[in-house]
Amino acid sequence: MLQYVTLKIDGAHIRAAKGTSVLDAAIEYGVCIPHLCHVPNLSDIGACRLCIVEHLVNGRSKVTTSCTLRVQEDMVIQSNTERIRKLRRNIAELLVAQAPNSRAIQDIAVRCGVKEVRYPFRNENCVLCGRCVRACSELAGARAIDFVGRGKGRRVDSPFGILSEFCIRCRTCIDLCPMTIMPCNGYMEPGEEHLCGACESQLLFADEVPGFCVECELGEGFQCGRY
Amino acid sequence: MQQARELGLLGENILGSSFGFDVQIVRGGGAFVCGESTALMASLEGKVGEPRPKDVHTVVDGLWHKPTTLNNVETWANVPSIMLNGSAWFASKGSKGSKGTKILALTGHIKNTGLVEVALGTPIHTVLFDIGGGSANGDRIKAVQTGGPSGGCLPADKFHLPIDFEALAEAGSMVGSGGMVVMDEDTCMVDVAKYFLTFLQDESCGKCVPCRLGIDRMLEIITDITEGRGKPEQISLLEELGHTISETALCGLGKTAANPVLSTLRYFRHEYEAHISKKDCPAGVCQALITYEIDPEKCTCCGVCKLACPHEAIIGDKERVHTIDLQLCQQCGICRSECKFEAVQVN
Repeated sequence: MLQYVTLKIDGAHIRAAKGTSVLDAAIEYGVCIPHLCHVPNLSDIGACRLCIVEHLVNGRSKVTTSCTLRVQEDMVIQSNTERIRKLRRNIAELLVAQAPNSRAIQDIAVRCGVKEVRYPFRNENCVLCGRCVRACSELAGARAIDFVGRGKGRRVDSPFGILSEFCIRCRTCIDLCPMTIMPCNGYMEPGEEHLCGACESQLLFADEVPGFCVECELGEGFQCGRY
Repeated sequence: MQQARELGLLGENILGSSFGFDVQIVRGGGAFVCGESTALMASLEGKVGEPRPKDVHTVVDGLWHKPTTLNNVETWANVPSIMLNGSAWFASKGSKGSKGTKILALTGHIKNTGLVEVALGTPIHTVLFDIGGGSANGDRIKAVQTGGPSGGCLPADKFHLPIDFEALAEAGSMVGSGGMVVMDEDTCMVDVAKYFLTFLQDESCGKCVPCRLGIDRMLEIITDITEGRGKPEQISLLEELGHTISETALCGLGKTAANPVLSTLRYFRHEYEAHISKKDCPAGVCQALITYEIDPEKCTCCGVCKLACPHEAIIGDKERVHTIDLQLCQQCGICRSECKFEAVQVN
Protein backbone atom coordinates (compact mmCIF):
# COMPACT_ATOMS: atom_id res chain seq x y z
CA MET A 1 0.00 0.00 0.00
CA LEU A 2 1.23 3.47 -0.82
CA GLN A 3 2.32 5.49 2.15
CA TYR A 4 1.87 9.22 2.11
CA VAL A 5 3.75 12.05 3.76
CA THR A 6 2.82 15.67 4.16
CA LEU A 7 5.34 18.38 3.44
CA LYS A 8 5.31 22.10 2.97
CA ILE A 9 6.39 23.62 -0.33
CA ASP A 10 6.30 27.40 -0.47
CA GLY A 11 3.89 27.40 2.46
CA ALA A 12 1.42 25.01 0.84
CA HIS A 13 0.72 21.69 2.56
CA ILE A 14 1.29 19.00 0.01
CA ARG A 15 0.55 15.31 0.33
CA ALA A 16 2.81 13.07 -1.67
CA ALA A 17 3.52 9.38 -1.91
CA LYS A 18 6.65 8.21 -0.11
CA GLY A 19 9.56 7.85 -2.50
CA THR A 20 8.55 10.59 -4.92
CA SER A 21 10.90 13.49 -5.43
CA VAL A 22 10.15 16.99 -4.19
CA LEU A 23 10.17 18.19 -7.78
CA ASP A 24 7.52 15.68 -8.88
CA ALA A 25 5.37 16.50 -5.87
CA ALA A 26 5.69 20.22 -6.57
CA ILE A 27 4.83 19.87 -10.26
CA GLU A 28 1.84 17.70 -9.44
CA TYR A 29 0.46 20.44 -7.23
CA GLY A 30 1.25 23.18 -9.74
CA VAL A 31 4.26 24.68 -8.00
CA CYS A 32 6.46 25.70 -10.90
CA ILE A 33 10.10 24.73 -10.43
CA PRO A 34 12.05 25.14 -13.68
CA HIS A 35 13.99 22.04 -14.68
CA LEU A 36 15.90 20.73 -17.66
CA CYS A 37 17.55 17.38 -17.05
CA HIS A 38 14.52 15.94 -15.23
CA VAL A 39 12.17 13.88 -17.41
CA PRO A 40 9.20 12.08 -15.82
CA ASN A 41 9.84 8.34 -15.42
CA LEU A 42 13.58 8.66 -15.98
CA SER A 43 16.13 8.51 -13.16
CA ASP A 44 17.34 11.88 -11.88
CA ILE A 45 21.00 12.82 -11.96
CA GLY A 46 20.86 16.41 -10.70
CA ALA A 47 23.02 17.71 -13.55
CA CYS A 48 21.36 20.94 -14.67
CA ARG A 49 20.91 22.31 -11.11
CA LEU A 50 17.96 24.46 -12.26
CA CYS A 51 15.46 22.79 -9.93
CA ILE A 52 17.35 23.94 -6.82
CA VAL A 53 15.26 24.70 -3.75
CA GLU A 54 15.96 25.73 -0.19
CA HIS A 55 15.49 22.84 2.22
CA LEU A 56 15.08 24.02 5.80
CA VAL A 57 16.72 21.64 8.26
CA ASN A 58 16.94 22.62 11.94
CA GLY A 59 16.50 26.28 11.09
CA ARG A 60 19.29 26.24 8.52
CA SER A 61 18.54 26.37 4.84
CA LYS A 62 20.40 24.13 2.46
CA VAL A 63 20.39 24.63 -1.30
CA THR A 64 19.80 21.33 -3.05
CA THR A 65 18.21 20.00 -6.22
CA SER A 66 14.57 19.05 -5.77
CA CYS A 67 14.72 16.27 -8.37
CA THR A 68 17.08 14.19 -6.25
CA LEU A 69 15.49 15.06 -2.91
CA ARG A 70 12.90 12.53 -1.70
CA VAL A 71 9.84 13.78 0.16
CA GLN A 72 9.83 13.31 3.94
CA GLU A 73 7.26 13.95 6.60
CA ASP A 74 7.17 17.60 7.77
CA MET A 75 9.79 18.71 5.29
CA VAL A 76 9.92 22.46 4.64
CA ILE A 77 10.86 23.50 1.12
CA GLN A 78 11.07 26.94 -0.41
CA SER A 79 11.34 27.03 -4.15
CA ASN A 80 11.01 30.69 -4.95
CA THR A 81 13.07 32.78 -2.54
CA GLU A 82 15.18 35.73 -3.64
CA ARG A 83 18.34 33.65 -3.12
CA ILE A 84 17.08 30.73 -5.21
CA ARG A 85 15.83 33.00 -7.99
CA LYS A 86 19.24 34.65 -8.25
CA LEU A 87 21.17 31.37 -8.31
CA ARG A 88 18.75 29.90 -10.84
CA ARG A 89 19.03 32.97 -13.04
CA ASN A 90 22.83 32.70 -13.04
CA ILE A 91 22.70 29.02 -14.01
CA ALA A 92 20.17 29.67 -16.77
CA GLU A 93 22.37 32.49 -18.03
CA LEU A 94 25.31 30.07 -18.31
CA LEU A 95 23.12 27.64 -20.24
CA VAL A 96 21.70 30.12 -22.70
CA ALA A 97 25.12 31.63 -23.36
CA GLN A 98 26.30 28.14 -24.22
CA ALA A 99 23.38 27.18 -26.45
CA PRO A 100 21.28 30.13 -27.63
CA ASN A 101 20.00 28.16 -30.61
CA SER A 102 17.39 26.21 -28.70
CA ARG A 103 13.94 27.42 -27.88
CA ALA A 104 13.86 25.14 -24.87
CA ILE A 105 16.97 26.73 -23.39
CA GLN A 106 15.76 30.22 -24.28
CA ASP A 107 12.44 29.50 -22.61
CA ILE A 108 14.20 28.26 -19.49
CA ALA A 109 16.34 31.39 -19.41
CA VAL A 110 13.29 33.58 -19.75
CA ARG A 111 11.38 31.62 -17.12
CA CYS A 112 14.34 32.01 -14.74
CA GLY A 113 14.36 35.76 -15.29
CA VAL A 114 17.46 36.16 -17.42
CA LYS A 115 17.26 39.64 -18.92
CA GLU A 116 20.75 39.95 -20.34
CA VAL A 117 23.57 37.54 -21.06
CA ARG A 118 26.90 38.77 -19.74
CA TYR A 119 29.05 36.10 -21.40
CA PRO A 120 29.95 35.78 -25.08
CA PHE A 121 27.54 33.41 -26.86
CA ARG A 122 28.95 30.06 -27.96
CA ASN A 123 26.41 28.23 -30.15
CA GLU A 124 27.16 24.76 -28.80
CA ASN A 125 24.70 22.12 -29.91
CA CYS A 126 24.58 20.13 -26.67
CA VAL A 127 24.21 21.19 -23.04
CA LEU A 128 24.86 17.68 -21.66
CA CYS A 129 21.54 17.41 -19.85
CA GLY A 130 21.83 13.65 -20.31
CA ARG A 131 18.19 13.10 -21.24
CA CYS A 132 19.17 11.08 -24.32
CA VAL A 133 21.65 8.96 -22.39
CA ARG A 134 19.11 8.00 -19.73
CA ALA A 135 16.29 7.53 -22.25
CA CYS A 136 18.50 5.20 -24.25
CA SER A 137 19.30 2.96 -21.33
CA GLU A 138 16.08 3.25 -19.31
CA LEU A 139 13.33 3.58 -21.93
CA ALA A 140 14.80 1.87 -24.96
CA GLY A 141 17.00 -0.49 -22.98
CA ALA A 142 19.68 -0.10 -25.60
CA ARG A 143 22.60 1.71 -23.90
CA ALA A 144 23.80 2.76 -27.33
CA ILE A 145 25.04 6.19 -26.21
CA ASP A 146 26.73 7.50 -23.10
CA PHE A 147 28.89 10.33 -21.86
CA VAL A 148 32.45 10.31 -23.10
CA GLY A 149 35.35 12.36 -21.74
CA ARG A 150 35.66 14.60 -18.72
CA GLY A 151 35.14 18.26 -17.86
CA LYS A 152 35.24 20.55 -20.84
CA GLY A 153 35.77 17.60 -23.19
CA ARG A 154 32.63 15.77 -22.04
CA ARG A 155 30.23 14.85 -24.81
CA VAL A 156 27.57 12.31 -25.68
CA ASP A 157 28.75 9.65 -28.07
CA SER A 158 28.35 6.02 -29.01
CA PRO A 159 31.14 3.61 -28.07
CA PHE A 160 34.33 4.47 -29.97
CA GLY A 161 32.35 6.97 -32.04
CA ILE A 162 30.77 4.20 -34.13
CA LEU A 163 26.98 3.86 -34.24
CA SER A 164 26.28 1.04 -31.84
CA GLU A 165 24.54 -2.10 -33.06
CA PHE A 166 22.47 -1.90 -29.88
CA CYS A 167 20.75 1.20 -31.27
CA ILE A 168 17.20 0.22 -32.21
CA ARG A 169 16.61 3.53 -34.02
CA CYS A 170 13.66 4.33 -31.77
CA ARG A 171 14.51 8.07 -31.87
CA THR A 172 13.56 8.50 -28.20
CA CYS A 173 16.82 10.37 -27.68
CA ILE A 174 15.91 12.86 -30.40
CA ASP A 175 12.36 13.32 -29.11
CA LEU A 176 13.64 14.24 -25.67
CA CYS A 177 16.54 16.44 -26.78
CA PRO A 178 15.98 20.10 -25.80
CA MET A 179 18.27 21.21 -28.60
CA THR A 180 16.07 20.06 -31.46
CA ILE A 181 13.50 22.82 -30.96
CA MET A 182 14.41 25.84 -33.07
CA PRO A 183 14.24 29.32 -31.55
CA CYS A 184 11.01 31.17 -32.43
CA ASN A 185 12.66 33.24 -35.13
CA GLY A 186 14.79 30.44 -36.52
CA TYR A 187 18.45 29.59 -36.26
CA MET A 188 20.69 32.46 -35.17
CA GLU A 189 23.87 33.18 -37.09
CA PRO A 190 27.05 33.55 -35.04
CA GLY A 191 27.22 37.11 -33.73
CA GLU A 192 23.49 37.76 -33.70
CA GLU A 193 22.45 35.59 -30.78
CA HIS A 194 19.85 37.13 -28.51
CA LEU A 195 17.16 36.24 -26.04
CA CYS A 196 13.80 35.88 -27.70
CA GLY A 197 11.64 38.94 -27.19
CA ALA A 198 8.42 37.05 -27.86
CA CYS A 199 9.18 34.71 -24.99
CA GLU A 200 10.16 37.60 -22.79
CA SER A 201 6.67 39.05 -23.03
CA GLN A 202 5.41 35.81 -21.52
CA LEU A 203 7.78 36.37 -18.65
CA LEU A 204 6.04 39.62 -17.77
CA PHE A 205 2.92 37.57 -17.35
CA ALA A 206 4.75 34.88 -15.38
CA ASP A 207 6.35 37.53 -13.17
CA GLU A 208 2.99 38.68 -11.89
CA VAL A 209 2.07 35.25 -10.67
CA PRO A 210 5.40 33.81 -9.63
CA GLY A 211 5.92 30.41 -8.16
CA PHE A 212 2.94 28.46 -9.37
CA CYS A 213 2.05 26.95 -12.69
CA VAL A 214 0.05 29.17 -15.00
CA GLU A 215 0.30 26.61 -17.79
CA CYS A 216 2.48 29.06 -19.69
CA GLU A 217 3.76 28.02 -23.06
CA LEU A 218 7.32 28.17 -21.81
CA GLY A 219 6.85 24.75 -20.24
CA GLU A 220 6.13 23.23 -23.61
CA GLY A 221 9.55 24.32 -24.78
CA PHE A 222 11.53 22.72 -22.00
CA GLN A 223 9.16 19.78 -21.76
CA CYS A 224 7.97 20.64 -18.30
CA GLY A 225 6.50 17.70 -16.43
CA ARG A 226 3.01 19.21 -16.82
CA TYR A 227 3.14 19.05 -20.59
CA MET B 1 50.47 -5.79 4.33
CA GLN B 2 52.25 -8.98 3.31
CA GLN B 3 54.22 -8.82 6.57
CA ALA B 4 51.06 -8.14 8.59
CA ARG B 5 49.43 -11.19 7.02
CA GLU B 6 52.45 -13.37 7.76
CA LEU B 7 52.39 -12.21 11.40
CA GLY B 8 48.69 -13.03 11.58
CA LEU B 9 47.64 -9.42 12.14
CA LEU B 10 45.42 -9.30 9.05
CA GLY B 11 42.93 -11.74 7.65
CA GLU B 12 40.83 -14.41 9.40
CA ASN B 13 41.32 -15.30 13.08
CA ILE B 14 43.68 -12.47 13.98
CA LEU B 15 46.17 -13.61 16.66
CA GLY B 16 44.20 -16.76 17.19
CA SER B 17 40.95 -14.95 18.00
CA SER B 18 37.67 -15.31 16.14
CA PHE B 19 38.04 -11.75 14.84
CA GLY B 20 38.75 -11.24 11.18
CA PHE B 21 39.78 -8.04 9.44
CA ASP B 22 41.37 -7.39 6.09
CA VAL B 23 42.71 -4.50 4.06
CA GLN B 24 42.61 -4.24 0.30
CA ILE B 25 44.36 -1.62 -1.78
CA VAL B 26 42.59 -0.46 -4.93
CA ARG B 27 44.20 1.70 -7.54
CA GLY B 28 42.31 4.98 -7.90
CA GLY B 29 40.60 6.31 -10.98
CA GLY B 30 43.41 8.80 -11.46
CA ALA B 31 41.27 11.92 -11.42
CA PHE B 32 41.14 14.70 -8.84
CA VAL B 33 37.36 14.32 -8.65
CA CYS B 34 37.76 10.63 -7.69
CA GLY B 35 38.75 11.90 -4.24
CA GLU B 36 35.19 13.16 -3.78
CA SER B 37 33.33 10.67 -1.59
CA THR B 38 30.64 9.42 -3.98
CA ALA B 39 32.90 9.61 -7.05
CA LEU B 40 35.48 7.60 -5.12
CA MET B 41 32.89 4.93 -4.42
CA ALA B 42 31.71 4.90 -8.04
CA SER B 43 35.33 4.51 -9.04
CA LEU B 44 35.79 1.61 -6.59
CA GLU B 45 32.73 -0.08 -8.07
CA GLY B 46 34.35 0.10 -11.47
CA LYS B 47 32.04 2.86 -12.74
CA VAL B 48 32.95 6.24 -14.16
CA GLY B 49 34.34 8.42 -11.36
CA GLU B 50 31.45 10.85 -11.15
CA PRO B 51 29.78 12.15 -8.02
CA ARG B 52 26.11 11.50 -7.40
CA PRO B 53 23.70 13.69 -5.43
CA LYS B 54 24.21 13.22 -1.71
CA ASP B 55 20.71 13.67 -0.35
CA VAL B 56 21.21 10.16 0.96
CA HIS B 57 24.50 10.08 2.84
CA THR B 58 27.16 7.47 2.18
CA VAL B 59 26.95 6.25 5.80
CA VAL B 60 23.44 5.08 4.86
CA ASP B 61 23.91 4.13 1.22
CA GLY B 62 27.51 4.04 0.03
CA LEU B 63 29.81 1.54 -1.63
CA TRP B 64 27.81 -1.28 -3.27
CA HIS B 65 24.73 0.38 -1.68
CA LYS B 66 25.95 -0.57 1.78
CA PRO B 67 26.60 1.75 4.72
CA THR B 68 30.13 3.02 4.29
CA THR B 69 32.55 4.93 6.46
CA LEU B 70 35.03 6.95 4.47
CA ASN B 71 38.26 8.30 5.94
CA ASN B 72 41.61 9.15 4.50
CA VAL B 73 44.87 7.49 5.43
CA GLU B 74 45.91 10.37 7.66
CA THR B 75 42.79 9.88 9.79
CA TRP B 76 43.31 6.09 10.04
CA ALA B 77 46.92 6.69 11.01
CA ASN B 78 45.67 8.61 14.05
CA VAL B 79 43.51 5.74 15.26
CA PRO B 80 46.21 3.47 16.77
CA SER B 81 47.67 6.27 18.89
CA ILE B 82 44.20 7.26 20.10
CA MET B 83 43.50 3.62 21.00
CA LEU B 84 46.79 3.40 22.89
CA ASN B 85 46.75 6.78 24.64
CA GLY B 86 43.06 7.55 24.91
CA SER B 87 40.88 10.25 23.47
CA ALA B 88 41.78 12.78 26.18
CA TRP B 89 45.42 12.61 25.10
CA PHE B 90 44.44 13.25 21.46
CA ALA B 91 42.06 16.06 22.37
CA SER B 92 44.77 17.77 24.46
CA LYS B 93 46.43 18.73 21.20
CA GLY B 94 44.86 21.19 18.82
CA SER B 95 42.49 24.11 19.25
CA LYS B 96 38.99 24.38 20.67
CA GLY B 97 37.10 23.13 17.63
CA SER B 98 39.85 21.22 15.83
CA LYS B 99 41.63 18.53 17.79
CA GLY B 100 44.80 16.68 17.02
CA THR B 101 47.56 17.34 14.54
CA LYS B 102 47.73 17.95 10.81
CA ILE B 103 50.42 17.21 8.29
CA LEU B 104 51.16 20.20 6.09
CA ALA B 105 53.03 20.20 2.79
CA LEU B 106 55.16 23.35 2.67
CA THR B 107 56.19 24.38 -0.79
CA GLY B 108 56.73 27.39 -3.01
CA HIS B 109 59.00 30.36 -2.30
CA ILE B 110 60.11 29.13 1.11
CA LYS B 111 63.47 28.08 2.48
CA ASN B 112 62.53 24.75 4.07
CA THR B 113 60.09 22.83 1.92
CA GLY B 114 58.63 19.48 2.86
CA LEU B 115 56.11 17.79 5.13
CA VAL B 116 55.61 19.02 8.69
CA GLU B 117 53.20 17.82 11.34
CA VAL B 118 51.87 20.51 13.64
CA ALA B 119 49.12 20.68 16.23
CA LEU B 120 45.96 22.20 14.77
CA GLY B 121 45.65 25.77 15.96
CA THR B 122 49.31 26.61 15.29
CA PRO B 123 49.46 30.10 13.75
CA ILE B 124 50.36 30.33 10.07
CA HIS B 125 53.39 32.53 10.75
CA THR B 126 54.90 29.90 13.09
CA VAL B 127 54.75 27.39 10.25
CA LEU B 128 56.06 29.83 7.67
CA PHE B 129 58.85 31.51 9.60
CA ASP B 130 59.83 29.23 12.53
CA ILE B 131 59.51 25.96 10.65
CA GLY B 132 59.73 27.07 7.04
CA GLY B 133 62.54 29.54 7.71
CA GLY B 134 60.98 32.43 5.80
CA SER B 135 61.08 33.12 2.10
CA ALA B 136 63.66 31.42 -0.10
CA ASN B 137 65.31 34.55 -1.47
CA GLY B 138 64.69 36.98 1.38
CA ASP B 139 61.76 38.73 -0.32
CA ARG B 140 58.64 39.52 1.63
CA ILE B 141 56.10 36.68 1.63
CA LYS B 142 52.95 38.04 0.05
CA ALA B 143 50.46 35.23 0.40
CA VAL B 144 50.00 31.59 1.22
CA GLN B 145 47.60 29.25 -0.53
CA THR B 146 46.27 26.66 1.88
CA GLY B 147 44.24 23.52 1.31
CA GLY B 148 45.25 22.47 -2.18
CA PRO B 149 43.95 23.63 -5.56
CA SER B 150 40.49 24.48 -4.28
CA GLY B 151 41.70 26.24 -1.17
CA GLY B 152 42.12 29.97 -0.85
CA CYS B 153 44.96 32.49 -0.80
CA LEU B 154 45.56 34.29 2.48
CA PRO B 155 47.48 37.57 2.59
CA ALA B 156 50.33 38.43 5.00
CA ASP B 157 48.02 40.24 7.42
CA LYS B 158 46.15 36.97 8.03
CA PHE B 159 49.27 35.03 9.01
CA HIS B 160 48.32 35.38 12.68
CA LEU B 161 45.36 33.05 12.05
CA PRO B 162 45.55 29.61 13.64
CA ILE B 163 45.56 26.66 11.25
CA ASP B 164 42.26 25.09 12.21
CA PHE B 165 39.09 24.26 10.34
CA GLU B 166 36.94 27.14 11.59
CA ALA B 167 39.47 29.99 11.32
CA LEU B 168 40.58 29.14 7.80
CA ALA B 169 37.03 28.57 6.56
CA GLU B 170 36.04 31.93 7.98
CA ALA B 171 38.93 33.59 6.14
CA GLY B 172 37.73 32.04 2.84
CA SER B 173 40.20 29.18 2.67
CA MET B 174 40.38 25.71 4.18
CA VAL B 175 42.69 23.19 5.82
CA GLY B 176 41.81 20.72 3.07
CA SER B 177 44.69 18.54 1.99
CA GLY B 178 47.14 20.48 4.14
CA GLY B 179 49.01 21.94 1.20
CA MET B 180 50.67 25.30 1.81
CA VAL B 181 51.98 27.08 -1.25
CA VAL B 182 54.03 30.11 -0.23
CA MET B 183 54.17 33.02 -2.64
CA ASP B 184 56.48 36.04 -2.58
CA GLU B 185 56.19 39.49 -4.19
CA ASP B 186 57.02 38.14 -7.65
CA THR B 187 53.71 36.27 -7.79
CA CYS B 188 50.69 37.73 -9.56
CA MET B 189 47.57 36.73 -7.67
CA VAL B 190 45.37 36.92 -10.78
CA ASP B 191 47.78 34.54 -12.47
CA VAL B 192 47.61 32.22 -9.44
CA ALA B 193 43.81 32.16 -9.63
CA LYS B 194 44.08 31.43 -13.35
CA TYR B 195 46.51 28.58 -12.72
CA PHE B 196 44.26 26.85 -10.19
CA LEU B 197 41.16 27.39 -12.32
CA THR B 198 42.89 25.77 -15.29
CA PHE B 199 43.66 22.77 -13.10
CA LEU B 200 40.10 22.56 -11.79
CA GLN B 201 38.63 22.90 -15.26
CA ASP B 202 40.71 19.94 -16.42
CA GLU B 203 39.71 17.91 -13.39
CA SER B 204 35.99 18.73 -13.25
CA CYS B 205 33.96 15.70 -14.27
CA GLY B 206 31.64 17.93 -16.31
CA LYS B 207 28.42 16.46 -14.99
CA CYS B 208 26.74 19.53 -13.52
CA VAL B 209 26.24 22.87 -15.19
CA PRO B 210 27.63 25.31 -12.58
CA CYS B 211 30.94 23.46 -12.31
CA ARG B 212 31.45 22.69 -16.00
CA LEU B 213 30.25 25.96 -17.53
CA GLY B 214 30.88 28.14 -14.49
CA ILE B 215 34.58 27.32 -14.14
CA ASP B 216 34.92 27.65 -17.90
CA ARG B 217 33.39 31.14 -17.86
CA MET B 218 35.43 32.21 -14.82
CA LEU B 219 38.57 31.10 -16.61
CA GLU B 220 37.45 32.95 -19.73
CA ILE B 221 37.00 36.16 -17.73
CA ILE B 222 40.31 35.79 -15.87
CA THR B 223 42.13 35.12 -19.13
CA ASP B 224 40.59 38.32 -20.50
CA ILE B 225 41.83 40.19 -17.44
CA THR B 226 45.38 38.82 -17.63
CA GLU B 227 45.56 39.59 -21.33
CA GLY B 228 44.44 43.18 -21.03
CA ARG B 229 40.85 42.81 -22.24
CA GLY B 230 39.28 43.03 -18.79
CA LYS B 231 36.37 45.35 -18.02
CA PRO B 232 35.57 46.77 -14.56
CA GLU B 233 32.14 45.11 -14.42
CA GLN B 234 33.77 41.70 -14.83
CA ILE B 235 34.99 41.79 -11.21
CA SER B 236 31.46 41.78 -9.82
CA LEU B 237 30.44 39.19 -12.42
CA LEU B 238 33.30 36.94 -11.26
CA GLU B 239 32.16 37.33 -7.68
CA GLU B 240 28.53 36.60 -8.47
CA LEU B 241 29.44 33.61 -10.62
CA GLY B 242 31.82 32.31 -7.95
CA HIS B 243 29.13 32.41 -5.27
CA THR B 244 26.65 30.74 -7.63
CA ILE B 245 29.05 27.87 -8.29
CA SER B 246 29.82 27.46 -4.56
CA GLU B 247 26.16 27.25 -3.66
CA THR B 248 24.77 25.15 -6.47
CA ALA B 249 27.45 22.72 -7.66
CA LEU B 250 26.80 19.03 -7.20
CA CYS B 251 29.91 17.96 -5.33
CA GLY B 252 32.77 19.19 -3.20
CA LEU B 253 34.96 19.93 -6.20
CA GLY B 254 32.47 22.41 -7.63
CA LYS B 255 31.49 23.85 -4.27
CA THR B 256 35.10 24.82 -3.56
CA ALA B 257 36.24 25.51 -7.12
CA ALA B 258 35.57 29.23 -6.83
CA ASN B 259 37.74 29.58 -3.70
CA PRO B 260 40.95 30.57 -5.51
CA VAL B 261 39.07 33.33 -7.31
CA LEU B 262 36.91 34.47 -4.39
CA SER B 263 39.79 34.57 -1.92
CA THR B 264 42.11 36.49 -4.26
CA LEU B 265 39.25 38.87 -5.07
CA ARG B 266 38.71 39.36 -1.34
CA TYR B 267 42.32 40.05 -0.39
CA PHE B 268 44.00 41.14 -3.60
CA ARG B 269 41.25 43.03 -5.39
CA HIS B 270 43.68 45.88 -6.12
CA GLU B 271 45.68 43.52 -8.33
CA TYR B 272 42.61 42.69 -10.39
CA GLU B 273 41.82 46.40 -10.62
CA ALA B 274 45.37 47.22 -11.75
CA HIS B 275 45.09 44.60 -14.51
CA ILE B 276 41.80 46.07 -15.67
CA SER B 277 42.07 49.82 -15.29
CA LYS B 278 45.83 50.39 -15.69
CA LYS B 279 46.44 47.36 -17.92
CA ASP B 280 49.34 46.61 -15.64
CA CYS B 281 50.48 43.49 -13.83
CA PRO B 282 52.00 44.75 -10.53
CA ALA B 283 54.06 41.59 -10.07
CA GLY B 284 55.30 41.60 -13.67
CA VAL B 285 54.01 38.14 -14.49
CA CYS B 286 51.15 38.44 -17.00
CA GLN B 287 52.91 38.39 -20.34
CA ALA B 288 50.43 40.47 -22.30
CA LEU B 289 50.64 43.36 -19.85
CA ILE B 290 54.38 43.74 -19.37
CA THR B 291 57.30 44.94 -21.44
CA TYR B 292 60.97 44.22 -20.85
CA GLU B 293 63.56 46.96 -21.03
CA ILE B 294 67.35 46.97 -20.74
CA ASP B 295 68.82 49.58 -18.42
CA PRO B 296 71.67 51.14 -20.51
CA GLU B 297 73.52 52.09 -17.30
CA LYS B 298 73.74 48.51 -16.09
CA CYS B 299 74.20 46.73 -19.43
CA THR B 300 77.79 45.56 -19.93
CA CYS B 301 77.23 44.56 -23.58
CA CYS B 302 78.15 40.96 -22.70
CA GLY B 303 75.69 39.50 -25.22
CA VAL B 304 74.39 36.73 -22.95
CA CYS B 305 70.79 37.87 -23.26
CA LYS B 306 71.14 38.23 -27.01
CA LEU B 307 72.31 34.62 -27.31
CA ALA B 308 69.60 33.38 -24.99
CA CYS B 309 66.68 35.16 -26.64
CA PRO B 310 64.67 32.58 -28.63
CA HIS B 311 62.90 35.29 -30.60
CA GLU B 312 66.00 37.25 -31.70
CA ALA B 313 64.44 40.35 -30.21
CA ILE B 314 67.63 41.78 -28.70
CA ILE B 315 69.68 44.22 -30.74
CA GLY B 316 73.24 45.28 -29.89
CA ASP B 317 76.82 44.02 -29.99
CA LYS B 318 80.02 44.15 -27.99
CA GLU B 319 80.33 47.93 -28.40
CA ARG B 320 76.67 48.85 -28.41
CA VAL B 321 74.36 48.77 -25.39
CA HIS B 322 71.66 46.14 -25.94
CA THR B 323 68.04 47.07 -26.55
CA ILE B 324 64.90 44.99 -26.91
CA ASP B 325 62.81 45.12 -30.07
CA LEU B 326 59.32 45.26 -28.56
CA GLN B 327 57.77 44.10 -31.83
CA LEU B 328 59.66 40.81 -31.68
CA CYS B 329 59.72 40.36 -27.90
CA GLN B 330 57.36 37.63 -26.64
CA GLN B 331 57.83 38.53 -22.94
CA CYS B 332 59.22 35.10 -22.11
CA GLY B 333 61.58 36.57 -19.49
CA ILE B 334 64.56 34.41 -20.46
CA CYS B 335 66.79 37.50 -20.94
CA ARG B 336 65.94 38.65 -17.45
CA SER B 337 66.81 35.36 -15.86
CA GLU B 338 70.04 35.09 -17.89
CA CYS B 339 71.33 38.63 -17.17
CA LYS B 340 73.86 38.61 -14.33
CA PHE B 341 73.81 42.40 -13.92
CA GLU B 342 70.08 42.83 -13.36
CA ALA B 343 69.97 45.12 -16.37
CA VAL B 344 66.74 43.69 -17.77
CA GLN B 345 63.75 45.26 -16.08
CA VAL B 346 60.03 44.64 -16.21
CA ASN B 347 57.65 47.51 -16.79
